[in-house]
Amino acid sequence: MTDANLPSPKTGTTPGMAAGRALPHWVDRFLGGWRVYRKNTIGRIGMALLVLFALMATTSFIPQWVDPMYHPMTGVDPQISYSTGPSLRHWLGTDFIGRDIFSQLLAGARIAFMVGISSALISILFGTTIGMVAGYAGKHTDLILMRLADMIMVMPTLLVVLLLSALFGQLNIWIIVLMIALFRWPGVARVIRSQTLSLRHRPFIEAARVAGASHLRIIFRHILPNVMPLALLYMTFRVTSAIIIEAALAFLGFGDPGTVSWGMMLQWVWKTGHMFQAPYWMLPPGICISLITMAFYMTGRAMDDVLDPRLREEETTP
Amino acid sequence: MGLKRFVLRRLVEIAVIFFVIMTVLFVLFRLAPGDPVSRMVDPSMTPEDARLLMESMGLDQPLWTQYLYYLKNVATGNMGVSFHYGEPVIDILMNRLPNTVLLFTTSILLSALLGVFLGKIAAWKRGQRTDTLLTIGALFCHTLFLPWLALIMIWFFAYRVGWFPITGMVSPDVWIDPGAGWLAKALDVLHHMALPLMTLILIHFGSYLLVMRSSMLDTLKDDYIITARAKGLEEKTIRDHHAAPNAALPVVTSVGLSLAFSINGGALTETVFTWPGIGRELVFSVSHSDYPLAQAAFLIIAIVVLVANLVVDVLYAYLDPRIRY
Repeated sequence: MTDANLPSPKTGTTPGMAAGRALPHWVDRFLGGWRVYRKNTIGRIGMALLVLFALMATTSFIPQWVDPMYHPMTGVDPQISYSTGPSLRHWLGTDFIGRDIFSQLLAGARIAFMVGISSALISILFGTTIGMVAGYAGKHTDLILMRLADMIMVMPTLLVVLLLSALFGQLNIWIIVLMIALFRWPGVARVIRSQTLSLRHRPFIEAARVAGASHLRIIFRHILPNVMPLALLYMTFRVTSAIIIEAALAFLGFGDPGTVSWGMMLQWVWKTGHMFQAPYWMLPPGICISLITMAFYMTGRAMDDVLDPRLREEETTP
Repeated sequence: MGLKRFVLRRLVEIAVIFFVIMTVLFVLFRLAPGDPVSRMVDPSMTPEDARLLMESMGLDQPLWTQYLYYLKNVATGNMGVSFHYGEPVIDILMNRLPNTVLLFTTSILLSALLGVFLGKIAAWKRGQRTDTLLTIGALFCHTLFLPWLALIMIWFFAYRVGWFPITGMVSPDVWIDPGAGWLAKALDVLHHMALPLMTLILIHFGSYLLVMRSSMLDTLKDDYIITARAKGLEEKTIRDHHAAPNAALPVVTSVGLSLAFSINGGALTETVFTWPGIGRELVFSVSHSDYPLAQAAFLIIAIVVLVANLVVDVLYAYLDPRIRY
């Protein structure tokens, strides 16, 4: 840390002043955090796994370029019409109609990242905004918003989405992402709210108010930068829960039929009755879901240590 | 405020929440594309039966009256007739409810007990190999994908080793046999319950272990533990009788927080093991477009979650006399 340039607690109010020096203040803070994070073994393992999965997701387009029969959804090996074990031609074997399991696995990584990150982003957006507004406004607004949060929090998300898919028919993957996000913001909102409550009467907020800043400006310009790290931490937990819910939904047969996710692969194993004969097909997707969940969870725990050792993580519930 | 008033207040809150859930469900069922009547009345019914059912549910009335009918019907348990079973849904679900409650409560209790027990040991042996192993094991089990673990359990314990039945809750031959006593029947259910129970415990105990461990570490720093040491008490007494009971309180909170998660997991487990519970019935009804069954199953699950929440809150207030509401 460059001690000569002490980070002021009022992030965002004076970005221009620090910018005259080498690095913007937030980059400095980020690098400082990274230095602590690097020492954390759990965090390192988690990050390494995430890099591996990211690699899987980015290379998922390659197999279908090599040969169209490796396309995860539509590519069928012309010589095979049943599930076969691993071979040189198909590294992890084929599924019940002769599609390549390895390329499905790669495609699954792409879906998992897509679902996890976009859903987490949306729920963090909702949660942070609602939490800040509730904490800052107080009184009735706070009461109503928090009661709403309580109510949504007790609902089992998976079953709610299941019921909605019964009513509205087969759900598109983006609708699923949105639904998961809409039901997963309350936990975030609660934490952000309590953080906002502790910030509300700090001198720099009072000063901003005296200087004539509007409520919106105070919330987004002065409070937001201070709750941002916490929101980021909760994002890792939301990513896990979104991935698990999507996988479970697909496993039960309510996923988007146009996507190949790991949950979908497990559903095919289960529904076609291959679970006893084809361990080479059943093991990889389950291992991947479990490992990516673990990777995000470990990253979250390590970030937790970086941000504040007294803060304990929430559940990784779906 | 005493405990009694606290429970009363929570009951009122639960009633309000349930009312809101009910209303949202009503709106959703009317909002969904398609004909709302065909969603509550089986298309294959005879016209007379269909008309009777429609009248009892007020489906030919204006929306506002329909809502009142709906509230009355939920209160009296008249929630329509299942398309698939052809029986009143409430009868089907009341039949399934005990099975769900049995699996749900035993799994939560056992995993919390196991988590507390192992978390206590992990904290006590902080930094040693036992601690590392337990923590990593907990983290690992906690992040396993539940339906997949269930499939693996079936594949290994039921198919390869053959110790447990593959699916279901009872073996018909035991229950048909007039000579079989209640003990044989109970053992039969236990035999079927072993695998789903093991799956749920493996998934859930990890988070409780982690919570217990960190809370125990905090407790061990407290002054009264130093006092206990200074008195020359045995280490085991300090651990089990002084530190552990206080440290276990956050686990109760954590059980409450993860209730929705447990219900999700319960539904998945029931489905994979074909355990005849409410969760499986909900999944089944959704995939067969059996709307009356889906609606009622969801409402009953909502009640189960809310009541379980209340139980956890009351338990917490009972266990921690410092909490006064």
